Amino acid sequence: MPKYADDPTWADIVPLPTDEGGPNPLAAIAYSDDYSETMSYLRAVMAAKEHSPRVLDLTEDLIDMNPAHYTVWLYRAETLFALHSDLRAELEWLNETALAHQKNYQIWHHRNLIVDRLCGEEQGVVDEEGLWKAECEFVEQMFERDAKNYHVWSYRQWLVRRFGLWGPVELEFTERMLARDLRNNSAWNHRWFVVNGRAEMEGDGGLGVEDPEVRAREVKFAMEAVAKTPQNQSPWNYLRGIVRKTGMSLGHLKGFAEQYASLKEPDEVRSSFALDLLAEVYVEEKKAKEAGEVLDLLATRYDPIRKHYWQYRKGLLGVEGAAAA
Amino acid sequence: MASLQEDSISIDTLDERLKIQSRIEELPDTDDEGVPFPGKGQIPLNRPASISPSWLQPAVFGLFHIDDGTTTMEAQQKTTAECLSYLTLKDSQDLPLNLYGLPHLRRKAHADFLRVTLGTLPAPYAAMDASRPWLFYWTMAGLTSLGEDVSGYRERLMETVRPLQNPTGGFGGGHGQLSHCACTYATVLALTCVGGLEVVDRTAMWRWLGEVKQADGGFKMALGAEEDIRGAYCAMTILALLNLPLELPQDCAARKTGLNSFTDKLGEWVSSCQTYEGGIAGAPTNEAHGAYAFCALACLSILDAPHKTIPRFLNIEALIHWLASMQTTPEGGFAGRTNKLVDACYSHWVGGCWSLLQAATKSPNDLWSREGLIRYLLTCCQQPGKRGGMRDKPSTRPDGYHTCYSLAGLSAAQNHYHYHTEESPTTFLSSAFQWSASRPSKEEMAQWSIEEEDRVRLVHPVFVVPMEAVERARLQFEKGGL
Ligand SMILES: [Zn+2]
Repeated sequence: MPKYADDPTWADIVPLPTDEGGPNPLAAIAYSDDYSETMSYLRAVMAAKEHSPRVLDLTEDLIDMNPAHYTVWLYRAETLFALHSDLRAELEWLNETALAHQKNYQIWHHRNLIVDRLCGEEQGVVDEEGLWKAECEFVEQMFERDAKNYHVWSYRQWLVRRFGLWGPVELEFTERMLARDLRNNSAWNHRWFVVNGRAEMEGDGGLGVEDPEVRAREVKFAMEAVAKTPQNQSPWNYLRGIVRKTGMSLGHLKGFAEQYASLKEPDEVRSSFALDLLAEVYVEEKKAKEAGEVLDLLATRYDPIRKHYWQYRKGLLGVEGAAAA
Repeated sequence: MASLQEDSISIDTLDERLKIQSRIEELPDTDDEGVPFPGKGQIPLNRPASISPSWLQPAVFGLFHIDDGTTTMEAQQKTTAECLSYLTLKDSQDLPLNLYGLPHLRRKAHADFLRVTLGTLPAPYAAMDASRPWLFYWTMAGLTSLGEDVSGYRERLMETVRPLQNPTGGFGGGHGQLSHCACTYATVLALTCVGGLEVVDRTAMWRWLGEVKQADGGFKMALGAEEDIRGAYCAMTILALLNLPLELPQDCAARKTGLNSFTDKLGEWVSSCQTYEGGIAGAPTNEAHGAYAFCALACLSILDAPHKTIPRFLNIEALIHWLASMQTTPEGGFAGRTNKLVDACYSHWVGGCWSLLQAATKSPNDLWSREGLIRYLLTCCQQPGKRGGMRDKPSTRPDGYHTCYSLAGLSAAQNHYHYHTEESPTTFLSSAFQWSASRPSKEEMAQWSIEEEDRVRLVHPVFVVPMEAVERARLQFEKGGL
């Protein structure tokens, strides 16, 4: 049942059928007639570089059938901008589409383009605060369904950068996400970004964890998370990140690590990540023997899948131990 | 205009799309669904009793897994539960076992499974309409890993991709689709496997790549699309295999910002993707992700010798620390992000990093458990029953993507790859052509519990196609020029 061929609105277009590449194409898809026809009209309008309202209808139709079609999204954006279309209406349509196709990522980039253009073109006309608040809310709604979606987090970062949301509200958001799942590493990564991103990306303010007060706050935050979930890699990685970035002495973390793993009580280890950190502490203290013992505990008892890695670390120790002696 | 992205390597989305594919695949064939799972609950009789490597001792993997009620933990416990009886061979799923009691690699079943993807696909595959070149690549790479001859597909593949190539350079996902780095990468690699690269318009390709090169050193995925680390890896792969000139085309935008070469600022851009965790993100400030770690390391290994570029642009100890932490207990496979689940495709994305890192550190010893990965792949990721194919984890369906990357991961685990410091460069980007590979010793095979039948071929550590196919491409374009 042709949709476009019988439609007088499309009578002037000669559809471009697909070139299958010879009589025996590999992995040829037996397209439905609907999809085939719609695609042949898209090829035709793209070849003619047509940007018109009916192209928007056509791309909407195709996105419904195949939301992973990057070319269609690209051409839709181009058309929207060429026509100076109502971008707020586009956002509303995107909300529905995002909910229908949750895993689709093209949508998030498209959204990024639309929101950016909306603020750029209509600066002063658009209620920016209302816009980013609505966007943040929508994103949070998407996280109800999949709290680790890479593309949605990437969009959230873009919102923070675009609208300068480096303040406490965004930090509270990460706390909310982590309260739901303390092991959600995407939320930890976002927290790192909110705390340090301004200094790293824009260099125009804020020292991130290099500010002693911020550092103390973030160390405390990670430590509290460890207390609740000792064998949770995310807050340990967060702590290690702070150490690496600030160059702070690992000595500050020794007592903390020893609450979860200590050479004195090798049978009472509560976290392999604590052992890992403890080994580093001993390296800093130039106690190669103790560091080696900790790494042995990991290799033989508490984390044998990484035996080779712990042995490699022990090998590095030999060199450093010799240098220290 | 600004940009849109396609995301054919991006794992989460692709996995999702493939789930659609898997659902499609099960429609005509219900042998696994309609009857009780073959072999479920049966304990094989001739199994050696000693199969219990150190990381599989219950005392070890039960150490820290406390139920804290988080969504993450629930998912992790579910995955461990579904893998455990396969890992310990309590349930062999009726797979034929090797001398050591591990399931054999089902070579024929996997090859048959891959070949099916090259036939006519039913209408719901329209969901893959923008990613069809991936089907070519996964199939050709997977088949060649199994030692199958794919030269018989040469003419057909060349004909099939002809309408995907745009006169302005590069390949799209299908006829009339815009050129895209991922589609172009997959097409070029599939053509490399069959020896059909002459279909590529190299001059147009060079011009198009010039258009996607960015002022900050990275590459966009398509004209006006998003910039991420896949773009950098795909573009460098294409430039190297086709031996295209490194000078940027005169009229491209990146030149106007002062860049002269495709490689300008590239290492610095890759460097900016390393995160506080030590791993690599798809773009600066995003979360560390296993697939992007491979893209970064392979890209740097094309740029120049890995022992020069990798330590220069990355904090290598932090990266090794993060990568090592991706191997999961007790499953033994790799996860793609911190606190995420084991998934067979990371056997390549993370497993493939080790040869490159070993070349970078010149460390004589392994940094990871080959044995663990091999066991996960052979026991948990092979689809039992008639159909074959490999899967993310036991509760998922096999698909071409996971079959291809499981086999590539097996090759990384079973073979050794050596980087040779170059004497006389033969191409513009010559370092990626300086690799040789060697098979495991008898002792190693015994240690990893594999027999000859369970071995996969030597897969190039940077280009992820057969070693000899890479050499053929090098010879084909040795002269350079356009
Ligand atoms: Zn996967």
